[in-house]
Amino acid sequence: MSFRETLESGKFVVTAEVGPPKGTDIKQMTHDMELLKGKVDALNVTDNQSAVMRICSIAGCKLLVEHGIEPILQMTCRDRNRIGLQSDLLGAYVLGIKNVLCMTGDHVLAGDHKDAKPVYDLESVQLLKTVDGLNHGRDLAGNEMQGATDFYFGAVVTPEANPLEPQLAKFHKKIKAGAKFFQTQAIYDIEKFKGFMQVAREYPVKVLAGLVILKSVGMANFLNKNVPGIRVPQEFIDELKAAGKEKALETGMDIAARHIRQLKEENICDGVHIMAIGMEDKVPVIMQKAGLL
Amino acid sequence: MIITEKKDRAKLLETVKDYKSFFLLGCSECATLCGTGGEPELKEMKELLEANGKTVTGTFVAKTGCQVLGTKVELKGHKEALEATDCIIVMSCGAGTQSAVEIFPQIAVYPANNSAFLGNMTRLQMFDERCSLCGDCILDQTGGICPVTACPKGILNGPCGGTNDGNCEISPDIKCAWVRIYERMGKLGKTVEFKEMVLEPKRWSASIKPRRVNAREEKK
Repeated sequence: MSFRETLESGKFVVTAEVGPPKGTDIKQMTHDMELLKGKVDALNVTDNQSAVMRICSIAGCKLLVEHGIEPILQMTCRDRNRIGLQSDLLGAYVLGIKNVLCMTGDHVLAGDHKDAKPVYDLESVQLLKTVDGLNHGRDLAGNEMQGATDFYFGAVVTPEANPLEPQLAKFHKKIKAGAKFFQTQAIYDIEKFKGFMQVAREYPVKVLAGLVILKSVGMANFLNKNVPGIRVPQEFIDELKAAGKEKALETGMDIAARHIRQLKEENICDGVHIMAIGMEDKVPVIMQKAGLL
Repeated sequence: MIITEKKDRAKLLETVKDYKSFFLLGCSECATLCGTGGEPELKEMKELLEANGKTVTGTFVAKTGCQVLGTKVELKGHKEALEATDCIIVMSCGAGTQSAVEIFPQIAVYPANNSAFLGNMTRLQMFDERCSLCGDCILDQTGGICPVTACPKGILNGPCGGTNDGNCEISPDIKCAWVRIYERMGKLGKTVEFKEMVLEPKRWSASIKPRRVNAREEKK
């Protein structure tokens, strides 16, 4: 079953992600892909994540297709205008890439080419509408195309954004624009996430809770301090501290597995998106701990 | 107004090193308010040039340096000084510099300033950028706050995921434009409108350069 069919069937899905490298050495990425093959329902390929220049996400997705793994193409609006975005979407589609995650994209100032011209000709809501148009056989200028796409397309949302109300308004707009599924920014506070899901459940969309594996107290503090929209509650920091340095990663994986179990058993959302950030080999371990493998 | 900043003086001296006699042209509008092209700055420049062995044949603060014809008329009284100069240094914006280029096709013209942006003066000599001159104003739909300018990404349909306690991901000194718009529209009782409006991609064709407006035609 495809990612779309699995998610729409109501089965609890698991997605993870791979980040293409800077440079042409794809050994690590291929290794990670093979490791996750047959275990996750689909793999996101990040689009020059954090505005750091790397292999493009379309090429990464194509490699996944060749390895028999279903990709989710992450597409940001930072580096291409509406012509480039649409052209790349059509190109991705004919290469067998059927899922797209539309996002605005981190600012170039976050990355390694700070003097680059940020594009943002479109933003996430407009990109979603654009994909919807391509699916209906017309481009953004209203031209009829020879052959439409049939993308399953989604977006991201930050359930812990502060303030939350404008973020929820944007969530609403993304759904109006046609988003079918959401992968959230990392969440740690399940009770708070339930509150967000009460809002999300009013809409006919699927939601995958984002999980970032905690590997140390330092990482938890870093996330709290530096990543907008991520809040690691003190209880988990204490848990990591109590585990000691050597057992911290194990504890972080236990926390993630616990969350997956709870999200699934209590039917809180439709799946999880595990962001391992360089620890892709731990994804199957977490899935095992959560009883998914 | 057009916000200008002084170019590095050492670099400017290097750029004009081959010229000997200078005429300094300021502007009584924006550049004077920015402290880059009023009487005090012209005096300072004159002293700097003279200290570097140059001659200054004359100085003048134009009323409105970007008004080509007006500036040309005003400069008629400085004919002699201008005839004796081999370089005009314009101490206003890029528009003022190019007025001088148009008026004096035979004389070298150099800018003393960098033109930064269209700004609002919030306090004396403190300026904020609030309008990008995009040619397709959407302030009517965004509570009067321009996201094209106030958001570093210029995005049109709400805050991105980088909103950080109401501030921008690129700097805690920038309040998120879309949080500001949300708050402002809330005060105007337009929270529902905020939620429902989906702005179309901008019409960037409205800002293809060089732009030209003929207001006379519109009066016909």
